[in-house]
Amino acid sequence: MAELSPATANPHSRLRPRRYGVAAVVAAVIVLALIASSVLNYVYLDTIPGRASLYGLLAVALITLGTYILVRAFNRDPKTRRRHLIRAAVLIGLGVLLWLLVVDVFVYTQSAGPSVALICTAACLPTTAFGLYVVRRMDRNEKEPWRLVLVAAAWGAIVATSLVIWGESLWEASADRTLVPGPGLDASLAFMAGVLEELAKGSAVVLLYLVMRDDFDDVVDGIVYGAAVGLGFNFMESITYMTNFYSIFSPEGFGTFAAGFQWYARQGLGLFFGHATYTAFIGAGIGIARQLPSVKQKVFAIVGGFLIAIAAHFSWDAWTTFFPIQSNIFGLVEIHLRTLIMTGPFTAALIALLIFGIRYEGQNLREQFRKEALTGRGAILPEDVMILASPWHRLRQRLRAFSRGGFRAYFRLAKLQSAQLDLAMERWHRERKEIESPLEAEEMLRQGVIALRNRVAS
Amino acid sequence: MQAPQYDQTRTLYRTLLVFATISVLILVIGLVEFVYFEPPGQTSGAKAHIVGVFDYDPTSHATSGPDESQFPRTQQFAAVVDWSSLPSNLTVDARWYDAFGDVVGHVGPDTPDQLAGHSTVPIVVPTGYHHSLPGRYLFVVERFEGSVPVEVLARRIILVQRT
Repeated sequence: MAELSPATANPHSRLRPRRYGVAAVVAAVIVLALIASSVLNYVYLDTIPGRASLYGLLAVALITLGTYILVRAFNRDPKTRRRHLIRAAVLIGLGVLLWLLVVDVFVYTQSAGPSVALICTAACLPTTAFGLYVVRRMDRNEKEPWRLVLVAAAWGAIVATSLVIWGESLWEASADRTLVPGPGLDASLAFMAGVLEELAKGSAVVLLYLVMRDDFDDVVDGIVYGAAVGLGFNFMESITYMTNFYSIFSPEGFGTFAAGFQWYARQGLGLFFGHATYTAFIGAGIGIARQLPSVKQKVFAIVGGFLIAIAAHFSWDAWTTFFPIQSNIFGLVEIHLRTLIMTGPFTAALIALLIFGIRYEGQNLREQFRKEALTGRGAILPEDVMILASPWHRLRQRLRAFSRGGFRAYFRLAKLQSAQLDLAMERWHRERKEIESPLEAEEMLRQGVIALRNRVAS
Repeated sequence: MQAPQYDQTRTLYRTLLVFATISVLILVIGLVEFVYFEPPGQTSGAKAHIVGVFDYDPTSHATSGPDESQFPRTQQFAAVVDWSSLPSNLTVDARWYDAFGDVVGHVGPDTPDQLAGHSTVPIVVPTGYHHSLPGRYLFVVERFEGSVPVEVLARRIILVQRT
């Protein structure tokens, strides 16, 4: 029995406060950068009309209400204090996101007017939603919660884009005034985009890793979160380019074509090849670091992920000019070939990591299903092992439940399977000594699974 | 049903390090490219004099009006360079870049003496377009080493308005 139930791993980890401390420092740096960016926007850019203040009122109201609840929370009973603190954090977070969205919308879309911006946004929403759906589905064993995937995408769209405005504006202005135009200047601007944009996007994945450790299991989760951040960034960037190209080319009579081409290049062809691939590498590095034993290896893995993302981004921005596109029918083929040749190898490398990660995760989960079944505690039965080990078998079992008892039976079984996977994941992390929650948490999960099993049986 | 024989995280880690090493190589190549086109220590001490940027009539090839830094997109414009301000042993050119980084007008490269008859450098409306595209335009006078421009001797940034 002792072999089957791994010992408690770091029930009171000393890493916990340090990890949260690092998260607080990262968050503080980001908030300071955002404040500095807002002040600089207000003083120098002059691109945010007074209307922004009006639309920003809701954001101000949310932050005010959140602050009020936050202050009151400390006067409450400690048992309910946590709930109020969470409410306050959610309201303040929503307020900040809404304000940044208002700023973004005006900075990025005013060139073509609100109606064009709205149409561009509507065009990019379904493709980005499709991208997020596919990315989340890639995690075949334990899908990440939608709330975190959406938070990651929102960070990419709103916070990361806000973070890079000033860094890129200053770098660009300085390069334009000091460098020789041509490949040297192109290389400098490509370094700028690679470094600043990947740091801004990657900070979201780092924060998720530091704060949401229970939902950040391994390389697969890292790739999912990273790609989600990238898709969010790509969403806002696509709207920017579409509105900008529309306003530039509409007096020439082909504004719609120019915007449509940008949509295809960024939301069709480049949906998974561009930002999603770059930032997924950051997630992969962090996901691998999650399961490495030494701090040195963790640092190497995280830095490695960032380096790959920066290099992939840099190579696209710097060297696309070496693949000129002809303005004839062959140009259409060349556009696709260019993406395939330049970003394809990076995407292929990422898919290799993903497939390996999924297989590795699957093998270890199967091993934990087997060990849990051998304990005889009833959360996972020996006959469950083969079913739980295969996504297809799990789906077939759910479909059989559906044919017997409809949607209710389907979702009850889905919940049970999900809880069983959570239990196996918990066991896996505990066995590897990479979990902070006490052994009681695992027992609670087990009891939860048994309760769900009884409900399914009834 | 076979348990994994070794910690496969190591394999993932090593694979990531291999990709990271290739990435470092890519970034080094980028740095070498940057240094090749932007070689350090390329300061000749020479400064070109841009007389100004003026309205330009493509039919008469004449400039008019005051020196401006903004133009409507319907207005063509040209920079006027005083080539006599440069030493005659240099190889130089002058170029206009539009907001997309495309060259939309140039003279040279040649010696300043040879370019004396080309003091007006107009922008050229791209083929198939009615007017210049809006955005930031960059005008530079560059010094060449071989076939590579290595130093900017003068520059002006012009804004072409959207309306």
